Amino acid sequence: MDETVAEYIRRTILKIPRDEIKTMLQKWGFLSEAQLQTINFHQIKDNISQEVVQLCEENSADIKQAAVLDIIYNHIYPNKRVWSVYQMKKAGEETEFFDLTEFKKKFKRRLRSALKNVTINFREYEDNAIWIRIAWGTPYRKPNQYKTSYVVYHSQTPYAFVSASVLKSNLPLLCQALVVASNYHDIREMELRSHSLNSLKDIVFKRYSQNFQTYCPRPLQERNVVPESADLRIIQENQNEKERIQRLNREAFGDGPQPKLEFAQYKLETMFKSDPKMDVLDRKEPFRCVVKFSSPHLLESLKSLAPAGMADAPLSPLLTCIPQKARNYFKIREKKGFCPGSFVSP
Amino acid sequence: GVFTHLEMLEARAHKAAVKQEEAEQQEEKLARLKARVQELRRQRDELRAKVELQQKGRGGKEGVASDPAQPSARAVLEWKIKSLKAMLQMFYLTGISGKLTKRGVCFCIGTAYEGTYLDSYHLDLLAQPEVRIYRHSVPIFIPLERIAAKYLQSDLRRFLCVLSDHLNAYAGRRFQADQLQEHFSDQLEGTLQRNSLCNLLVFNYNVTSQSQTFLFNVRLLYGDLCCSLPTEVTVSCTPGAPACLAETAAAHSDLFRRTALHEAFRSFRRAGENLA
Repeated sequence: MDETVAEYIRRTILKIPRDEIKTMLQKWGFLSEAQLQTINFHQIKDNISQEVVQLCEENSADIKQAAVLDIIYNHIYPNKRVWSVYQMKKAGEETEFFDLTEFKKKFKRRLRSALKNVTINFREYEDNAIWIRIAWGTPYRKPNQYKTSYVVYHSQTPYAFVSASVLKSNLPLLCQALVVASNYHDIREMELRSHSLNSLKDIVFKRYSQNFQTYCPRPLQERNVVPESADLRIIQENQNEKERIQRLNREAFGDGPQPKLEFAQYKLETMFKSDPKMDVLDRKEPFRCVVKFSSPHLLESLKSLAPAGMADAPLSPLLTCIPQKARNYFKIREKKGFCPGSFVSP
Repeated sequence: GVFTHLEMLEARAHKAAVKQEEAEQQEEKLARLKARVQELRRQRDELRAKVELQQKGRGGKEGVASDPAQPSARAVLEWKIKSLKAMLQMFYLTGISGKLTKRGVCFCIGTAYEGTYLDSYHLDLLAQPEVRIYRHSVPIFIPLERIAAKYLQSDLRRFLCVLSDHLNAYAGRRFQADQLQEHFSDQLEGTLQRNSLCNLLVFNYNVTSQSQTFLFNVRLLYGDLCCSLPTEVTVSCTPGAPACLAETAAAHSDLFRRTALHEAFRSFRRAGENLA
């Protein structure tokens, strides 16, 4: 077995939390159950990884199997990477049949025709997600297994989720291969980024909770309002206001859990509006400034602003439109025309 | 003499007057007390009657006040609400229902396959200045934009019908594939290759003939997105298999074209059990 492969497997095992190592090795399926029984999973990780490498040596693991282990690790812990979303455009209107084998063939062929030194691995999952792992090399050097890009693609959708590595120069190549393999003709990066891959999927696949007005019977349990205090001496003075805020919040955010985003960034290029008599700026130039909201869970915190009394309801549409517009990076410019205002650039 | 006699008479008169006053006072007092007694008696009778009324009311179904033949306004209102809810529920179950919103309509398209209700999808439409989609929960791989470009402006009803056909067919195809994986995985070999639209399925399954097991490969292509049955079926056996299996393959191919996928496998299982 190659030294580099052994080292790579060892380092991958070290990344996994000790309690999860056994399950992940079972998912990997490269070591037999009998071999797994011989490993003591209660010792320190260093020793566990040494034993695993030993067994892989016996089975003569190559880089392909090691790559599969890496995919499994990233599939279980996708939130360790930052994911961006790419949108593809199609020319024709024919129905897509999406043959997986064709896709893989085309992708590999396109990528390899431009760059010989790449390691490409695929893995399909139950939810029609195809995980692609690419390790990049250069025309003169073998692929660096520690500098990998990941692409997650759901068949017959115009979206691809990409976690690029440090080597940004390979991105155009990656996009090209994707477009060709999936039978689209154009691709562009969306202004949507997050650590939570599933939340990005929820946003673009419209799987997040939207509040639609229907007559569909909703479970009555939701309607049960537990009286906040059984003490009749306590009266809520602004009950109406509270209910108004709840209603507006529900309309804006829906009922269910929000997709998980870490930040929203607004680049402002608007004119400073002041009293004309004050005339603060002698040059009529737009103010440039960047406003960035950060949070472990941005949308949930925005949802709780009005009920907590920290903001007026309804919240600014610039904040509430994030899932619907599928973006968390905005550029706000002056609206050109008679009425001064602002509009969000597409 | 006379003076003492007069004094005596005066004293006697005075005494009599006092006595009379006392008697009158007594009488007055008595009359007052009698009246009080009457009043208290009357109150007692009133309260008694009230208690009796209450006891009768708790025991019986209706109060003495309401008439059983005429339902109260409240009962009528409740019945009206109940029947309205039932009608809305019924419309919801038919598959396409809608609700007017401030700026347009919100449609709910329900899907079902042969008696099983599946997911529902929503469309929020704006009416002004022209009919367009504001937001929706339709899966991204359903060609919504294409259908909307064709029908949304011109024929809303047709738009909803076509979209409903697409969604129901997709739900049906997915249901069949899920059922196959869930209940008939013992007959499958390897993984079932599918895609988001579930319009191309490729898999291998076991066929027993003359106590030997052979592997069949099948490719199901659903060319019509509004249809939950395949348009193209290719069943092939492993090379080197006996020629008689070609007939079986053809029969299976025909079956897949006509019946639901999981039903076809259910019939295989039954046939297998009959042979055993």
